[in-house]
Amino acid sequence: MNPLLAVDNLCVSFAGQQAVNDVSFELNAGECLALVGESGSGKSVTARSLLGLSGGTVSAEKLMVCQEDALTLTEPAWQKIRGSSVVMILQDALMALDPLRPVGREIEDVLKEHGTLNSKARRVQVIEALASVDLPDPERRMKQRSTQLSGGMRQRVLIAQALIGDPQIVIADEATTALDSRLAALVLKQLAALKNEGRAVLMISHDLAQVAQLADRIAVMRAGKIVESGTTEQILNHPQHEYTRTLLRAIPSGVPRFAPLSIKATASEPRQLPPTEPDTTPALVVENLSKSFAKHPAVIEAGFVLPRGSTLGLVGESGSGKTTTARMILGLERPDAGSVTLLGERFVPHSEAARRSLRENIGAIYQNPLGSFDPRYSVGQILTDALSAGRSKRASGYKDQVARLLEQVELDPALSGRNPRELSGGQRQRLAIARALAPEPQVLVLDEPVSALDVSIQATILDLLDRLQQETGTSYLFISHDLSVIEHMSDLVAVMYQGRIVEQGSTAEVFGDPQHEYTRSLLTAMPRLR
Amino acid sequence: MSRTAKILSSLFILFWVLTAFVPALIAPADPLAINPSQAFQAPSGAHIFGTDESGRDVFTRVIHGAGDSLYIGLAATALGMGLALVLGTAAALAPRWLDEVILRVLEALYSVPSLLMALLIIAFTGPGVGPAIVAVGLSTAPGYARLVRSQIRTLKNSEMLEAATVLGRGTWLKVRNHLVPNALQPLLALVTLGIGQAVIWAAALSFLGLGTPPPAPEWGAMLSAGRTYLHLAWWLSFFPGLAIVVVAAGATLIGRALGGKVKAL
Amino acid sequence: MKLLAWLGRKVGGALVVLWLVATAIFIGVRLIPGDPAEAIMGGPGSQASAEALANARSEYGLDLPIISQYFLFLAKLIRLDFGTSYSFKDPVLQIMGEVLPPTINLALMALVVAWLLALLFALLAMRANKVGQLLGNAVEIVAAAVPHFWLGAVLIMLFSSMLGWLPAVANGTPAGLVLPVLTLALPLAGFLTQLMRDSLNTAMGSQFALAARARGESRLTVFRRHGLRHAALPALGLTGWAFSSLLSGAVVVEAIFARPGLGRSLLSAVLARDIPMVTGIALFSALVYIVVMALTEAIERLIDPAGAES
Repeated sequence: MNPLLAVDNLCVSFAGQQAVNDVSFELNAGECLALVGESGSGKSVTARSLLGLSGGTVSAEKLMVCQEDALTLTEPAWQKIRGSSVVMILQDALMALDPLRPVGREIEDVLKEHGTLNSKARRVQVIEALASVDLPDPERRMKQRSTQLSGGMRQRVLIAQALIGDPQIVIADEATTALDSRLAALVLKQLAALKNEGRAVLMISHDLAQVAQLADRIAVMRAGKIVESGTTEQILNHPQHEYTRTLLRAIPSGVPRFAPLSIKATASEPRQLPPTEPDTTPALVVENLSKSFAKHPAVIEAGFVLPRGSTLGLVGESGSGKTTTARMILGLERPDAGSVTLLGERFVPHSEAARRSLRENIGAIYQNPLGSFDPRYSVGQILTDALSAGRSKRASGYKDQVARLLEQVELDPALSGRNPRELSGGQRQRLAIARALAPEPQVLVLDEPVSALDVSIQATILDLLDRLQQETGTSYLFISHDLSVIEHMSDLVAVMYQGRIVEQGSTAEVFGDPQHEYTRSLLTAMPRLR
Repeated sequence: MSRTAKILSSLFILFWVLTAFVPALIAPADPLAINPSQAFQAPSGAHIFGTDESGRDVFTRVIHGAGDSLYIGLAATALGMGLALVLGTAAALAPRWLDEVILRVLEALYSVPSLLMALLIIAFTGPGVGPAIVAVGLSTAPGYARLVRSQIRTLKNSEMLEAATVLGRGTWLKVRNHLVPNALQPLLALVTLGIGQAVIWAAALSFLGLGTPPPAPEWGAMLSAGRTYLHLAWWLSFFPGLAIVVVAAGATLIGRALGGKVKAL
Repeated sequence: MKLLAWLGRKVGGALVVLWLVATAIFIGVRLIPGDPAEAIMGGPGSQASAEALANARSEYGLDLPIISQYFLFLAKLIRLDFGTSYSFKDPVLQIMGEVLPPTINLALMALVVAWLLALLFALLAMRANKVGQLLGNAVEIVAAAVPHFWLGAVLIMLFSSMLGWLPAVANGTPAGLVLPVLTLALPLAGFLTQLMRDSLNTAMGSQFALAARARGESRLTVFRRHGLRHAALPALGLTGWAFSSLLSGAVVVEAIFARPGLGRSLLSAVLARDIPMVTGIALFSALVYIVVMALTEAIERLIDPAGAES
């Protein structure tokens, strides 16, 4: 049997810049191949060149798509293949559907391009396709726009759009990235069904753990090249290449607390906390916090206790109320009811003036730190401003302290003159951490601090946070939608669902013996390698 | 802004400042000197912009007109912008109800088209240079005020200021260190764009005979006077108008380079 | 039900705006130094007869306390009694009925032409190479910086004086409309093109455009199905502003092309300091703006129901 995809020495370049370099692989019907790599590895460009949509200069010794020589295909011939023989499911369902058009029309477009059906027959097919991916009430939903659908519905729509053309090859470009675990599990299930129907599935992902659930073979990409490829079993259990090992090691689930995820991290022997008087007042006590927006409850009676020197992981899907809870704790959002006590002192509700003297004890880290920096400040100025409590942004007098902070978060002191815009995502997050550490706070609220980062970068940041906690004894409120990160980072876990904390306890209890129905469904959906 | 853009912008501004303050440097002749024997000369080496119905040199008059035209434009922008700053900032920082009230008033003022409002004001004050400044200033203020308000509001609700709050910064420090410095650049862009528009509006009033009275060499007034001879001597209207276009387009370019958006004016 | 509530909000908002405009005018008139009766009748230069002044005084209740004057003024407006234009010698309402339609016509035509030109430019810009893009950018900026009164003069020079193709005055024929409409439309087209190109580029580079290409759509189809909507939406949001700037431009254009209309009447009313007439025109143009805004909002809701909700 001829492979559906045969790629030999594929190269793609953009204005002389080589993005994909000598990439070769084959894909058969009923098989799933995963291209795994981090941002900039060229995996998405590779995928797009299989549809003739890379936008760069493509060359290859062989590029066969569905038994056609893709190197000689004309644009009209490509258009015939796209959407019918080969389809692509894009990463973000919200972005991949035109917000101004009803989703039914988007799906119907596939039929318009490829079929001869009249509009009535097309409508029937669209409804069938939506029903086949278990979208409830398809006749109503098809008339709505993507912004009016929930995340889960949008994903189903995307899959329906891919299925309706009855393709031989399905390319899933980061189709599970940034999804809550239950949604990711849904997409994986659908992709598995496609594979079992005899279609070829090419998965593009950065997440080895997720890929492992579906892929027969894995090819690991880095800087435009395939560094290692083999069966899933080989790659996971006997990785040959250094980089594959780095990626595998970076997966946090099942790794004990404080054990390093990155190779660079100095092996941590749990250092003894500085001998302080055993203070038993908790770092943070949150009681009965509630908040509604325009009569819609966002948070309902949330409460937990964060003991000193430990980490409480707050986990939940997007929209579950995690961020609102964090904002109320930080005194940025006024709660309708409830209170927050910081180091035994009342923090919320309180007037901002009264709260200000306590603020040095609590810091915050966000998912995208760039917006929280003054765009006119350099790295050094940001830290000087933090150290001098806003009195100065000039370095004089704070030079040593700035250098120490940069060292503490493992940032090159030479970056001090740069603007944060010029830093990488990982470096920005380190800078944000350094700034938060400047007043030497007792509590850090970390809201999805690693969600926007590549796996290997995420590993180094998590290791850094571990090290800092051991050195300084800071307590963390760690908020994430990613269960594996929460499992690795937390002593205590609180699970949030529809504005309520439905379950909380020690990490071992919650992950080992979940009591609430919702927690169980989350854990089942969570991909595990260890 | 790139280096070249900075140099070009500076040269552009320098040229017009010079023209406005010492026009004799560029055009030494008398803009009001009449010479009937030289009337209606087409552009040539001697009179590069030609001469008008009284034989006055159009180039000299355009250069000497820069002072008046730019003065009205600048003064009107200053007035409009000053008012907008006060109203916009107040609305952005005020409690919700006051914000609503100011917004409503601004919307009401905005609903009367700028030139119509300028004319309305002149109906009360009578024509002249002073009224033209007031008219253009007041009629552009509501638009600016809405922009100032939204800009300051965006800043006020920015993550940057939230981060400063979390770091324990008081209101004064937040305003001094972050709010004001970050608001300045977009405001500068807005002012630059505004000057271009104000020069046009002011010239329009003079063109309609409600601003600078003839025979002063103001661009709009010159254009208006030249209109009578449009079929006979196109250069009388063409060159004063060209000067306006150059100033307005230049201001637009500089404003855009400073990060301004044209659409909202 | 939702529609009714929306309509109610719009009408309520419109009334508030009109009331504010009227109040501003009332205050403006009282701020004029000297005898308000004289001010209403055209200022000191008009030399209104003592009898006319006395009439005005009783009609506007000028011997009453200022608060009563204000309510009298509002009461008259509510009854659509804008008074009699002293310079036209006719009721203001009647004059408005005569001068409003030609101006609205002109502005609407210019709006349509500007939109068509902007769409055409945006489409061309999408296909243009680097030089073409730069050139397009320059044309847009100049177009947006050109004053109506100069553009009108240049167009007359070109097409009337030199080429002799089109009449220089609006003579009521379709050919006489071409130059006035172009004069109004070109600068606006410059603004709109800038806006549309920005949003078009964003839309064509977006994930949903890529998804559409991956479905097998050609670039042109993607432009038609997706690009156009996204390009039109922000420009549509500016229609209220655009229409208002067209009314401003109409004052100038009507003067240049000797076209009867709102602008010219306003100009002569201003020159004669005919306050009742000026008040009427201000209120009507505010009303036009409000109606146009409500209409665009309705269209926006059709294109983007979710976006308009928020």
